[in-house]
Amino acid sequence: MFRQVKRRTAGRRNFEGTYTPRNDLPNHRLSFYDVPPTEEITLEQFESWAIDRLKILIEIESCMARGRSFRETETAVRPLLQKLLPLGTWPVNNNSQIDELKKDYYSHFILRLVFCRTEDLRRKFVRNETVLFKIRYNAMQPKEQHQFITNHHDKLPWNYIDSDEKLALFDQLFAATGATVKSALAAESDGQITTDQLRAHFRNENFIKVPFEKITSLVATRLVLLKLGYGYVPSTLQLSLLALEFQELLQRDLLRTFQSIPRLEEDDRLLPLLNHLGQNFASMEYDPAFSADPSLVSDINAASVTTPAITNHYPLCAKHLQTNMIASSHLRHEGRQQLSLFLKGIGLSVDEALKFWSHSFTSGPHAMTPERFNKEFKYNIRHTYGLEGARTNYKPWDCARILLRPLPGKNEYHGCPYRDLSVDALTTQLGEMGVGAVDMKGVLNDVERKDYTVACTRVFEITHNVQAEHIGHPNLYFDRSRQLERAKTETA
Amino acid sequence: MADPVPSQAAVPADSGVSSSDMLFFYQRLLPFRQIFQWLNHSPKPSKDFTMREFAYEYRTGAYQRYNSFSNLEEFKKSVVQANPTRFEVGAVYSVNPKERKRLPKQALKPLAKELVFDIDLTDYDEIRTCCSGTDICKKCWRFIQVAIKILDAALREDFGFNRLIWVFSGRRGAHCWVSDARARCLDETTRKSIVEYLDVLGSRLNRQGKNLLSLKRPFHPHVERSFDLLKNEFVDIILKEQDPWNTSSSEPSDKSWEQVETLLSYVPEKPLQEELRRKWKLQTSVSTSMSKWEDITVIAKKILKHQNQVNALNEAKKDIILFYMYPRLDIEVSKQLIHLLKSPFCVHPSTGNICVPFDPHHNLSNNEEDDDYGFNPTNAPNLRQLQNEIEVWDVRRVNRDSSQPLEDGESEADKRISEYEKTSLKPYVEYFQKFVNNLLKDELKDSGKRGRDDDTLEF
Repeated sequence: MFRQVKRRTAGRRNFEGTYTPRNDLPNHRLSFYDVPPTEEITLEQFESWAIDRLKILIEIESCMARGRSFRETETAVRPLLQKLLPLGTWPVNNNSQIDELKKDYYSHFILRLVFCRTEDLRRKFVRNETVLFKIRYNAMQPKEQHQFITNHHDKLPWNYIDSDEKLALFDQLFAATGATVKSALAAESDGQITTDQLRAHFRNENFIKVPFEKITSLVATRLVLLKLGYGYVPSTLQLSLLALEFQELLQRDLLRTFQSIPRLEEDDRLLPLLNHLGQNFASMEYDPAFSADPSLVSDINAASVTTPAITNHYPLCAKHLQTNMIASSHLRHEGRQQLSLFLKGIGLSVDEALKFWSHSFTSGPHAMTPERFNKEFKYNIRHTYGLEGARTNYKPWDCARILLRPLPGKNEYHGCPYRDLSVDALTTQLGEMGVGAVDMKGVLNDVERKDYTVACTRVFEITHNVQAEHIGHPNLYFDRSRQLERAKTETA
Repeated sequence: MADPVPSQAAVPADSGVSSSDMLFFYQRLLPFRQIFQWLNHSPKPSKDFTMREFAYEYRTGAYQRYNSFSNLEEFKKSVVQANPTRFEVGAVYSVNPKERKRLPKQALKPLAKELVFDIDLTDYDEIRTCCSGTDICKKCWRFIQVAIKILDAALREDFGFNRLIWVFSGRRGAHCWVSDARARCLDETTRKSIVEYLDVLGSRLNRQGKNLLSLKRPFHPHVERSFDLLKNEFVDIILKEQDPWNTSSSEPSDKSWEQVETLLSYVPEKPLQEELRRKWKLQTSVSTSMSKWEDITVIAKKILKHQNQVNALNEAKKDIILFYMYPRLDIEVSKQLIHLLKSPFCVHPSTGNICVPFDPHHNLSNNEEDDDYGFNPTNAPNLRQLQNEIEVWDVRRVNRDSSQPLEDGESEADKRISEYEKTSLKPYVEYFQKFVNNLLKDELKDSGKRGRDDDTLEF
């Protein structure tokens, strides 16, 4: 209680002007962005700086949506950073560099205004900014990194363990983190590290001790030693801790920005700009319209969704789910969820959906009784349409979401076939869709690079004989395919 | 969720546990007070209890969520009245779950729940040979016993939890409830990370054709400790009792050969694999798992030339031991804060077994044969048996009363005996009570500390 009051007055003083802006504000190339900028900038700067930063965040977002690893994202984003938001070298020493740092600092705060408005936007912004933070931290020299950490000791209460504790735990620390430290060392020194060298390094390594709640990703991957609720983190792994701190601070601050936005809403110079910027980001995402074109939707019903006239437009994932469901008269929960939301997205009404599911589950060799269907599955279908329980109108899953869900087990067909099927099975399936041997190679290459959505988009291009934008949503695949077909029949 | 169906017509369930049996159990045997104290963390009703979600499952299959109670009496009264086949415990919410309809949807936020784990023998079907599906025996329960040892050690030593209790799930598995204050307020990301830390076999198990564990060497200390626990039991549990690679019978089942192939897939070096496969295919007489395990070493000596290859084989053997014995976890249960789990002391609707908390290190039942074995699920207290025990006890008392009239004091003491004390449920309730008392002591200490901190802040 007491602490809170104190903080509030401190904040107030900010606005009353007794606060002097930190002169050293953009003096570091990396920042927690914990003090808002106070100098004036022009409207043009306001807009162009924001757009430049937005471009970078969009690139990060799209890398993540395609399931790229952090390293791959890093490689993709670095050149863009160099072009749009360069930060010069360290230590900071000339005026043009100060301007670069200023641009970075201001653009971050402008985008906070844009992205603080909804839960969804906040989450995305925090995620992408955190990736950006990590990329930049990685690009820094160890010395600069070290200085950054000492500068922020108030936020990073890292407890270094003493040498007695380290000695007592030495073997366990070595077993838990040896490999990680080794690869980090090898990357730095461009050479092989012998076990003896590694042991020697370990003797000088500074471990910090952190409650395990603070290092979830390191716990999950078993990369650190855990003892009585504390994780022992070597210096090479401390970045993820930093990133977490960054993320938490930003989350908190965004919410605060959101709460204070009403005071800003009166400003009619900035608002249109902010709205415009927000739309830019939102338009990257495909939002399956529940108000889909009625003329296209009218022919979607329980009977038609099993006919080739409709299924020919399905992306492989939906096809895979539906075929296997019909073959086995059943679909496990994850698959049911994925398919039924996809069908909802293409315009299958709840009544038709119930007909479709009950027919599929109650006919065929492994059929169940209609009573069992009504008792165990009807609720589930109605739930996806927002008619039961929390009554949430669930959206069809996009590829990013599908790729994040648990992998399909035995007798499960959800997920992304490009990722989950064996090469043989995938080749057969794609062959049936009309992908020839020459094109097949390209698709399989994408799959090997784990660019599953790129593979899927390529299949779309091959089977429809067009150039297509990147497809990141099964329903987008379907809609585009139908639009193309309609365009063709109209011209014919 | 579905609306409750309160009409409890006496439709006999397929199980043999009738609704009147259940009513009897709720009215007379279920230790409501202990469950209340366990979830409440304090003598007086606190938010930890009053904002806790309970769910009922009814005979009809209907499932009623978001029940909540303001005190022990209301809790018991509601369960007796609803007479569900079982009730489940959910999370503590920011508002009273039963009032959720009057509040905006965002108001109902889960705040805390015990960290829970669920191990089920059905997940061992691919490796156990003694039973399958819903059946269990003393042999396959040993999988659960080693699983408990491993999880118990990790939760205590690595994560620093102390207040955890193991509960028989009534048929073929066990639940673990971690009640430490620190565990209760973990968010979902952290829960997920704990589960992944413990889930050494991981999702690799699900992906066909990829059995190899690819665990990094040297083993992480948790994996190393688990391996040390497992290697001692491998000979008994796998080689002797389960004997999964036994192909000696005249017509060995396909499953044994499948298992042999799984075993071979772990063996490094193609020539060694081939040689072993050839030898085993030719064997017509006895070919047990034990002999196959020894064959690997013997034949390796002939075929492998380099120390590297021998080392690789030794590492592969470790993988095999881990693959065959490391706990298989139902991870979804542990990850979600709002996930519900059957309460301790419920009755399993199909078996009639009571979901008793048990001590993994020590047999609680009066059955001396199990003292070397530990908790034996096939001897777990069963509702039928408890009913008989109460009857016998009551008859005995009537006899005693009529033969020699008791002093007033003694009959008073008699009356104060809870019904469960007349039955074999008694040691389990007492074990649970001890666990709850320790938990309450912790909470009291914590709240004392918190109180003092508040004081210093005030001034």
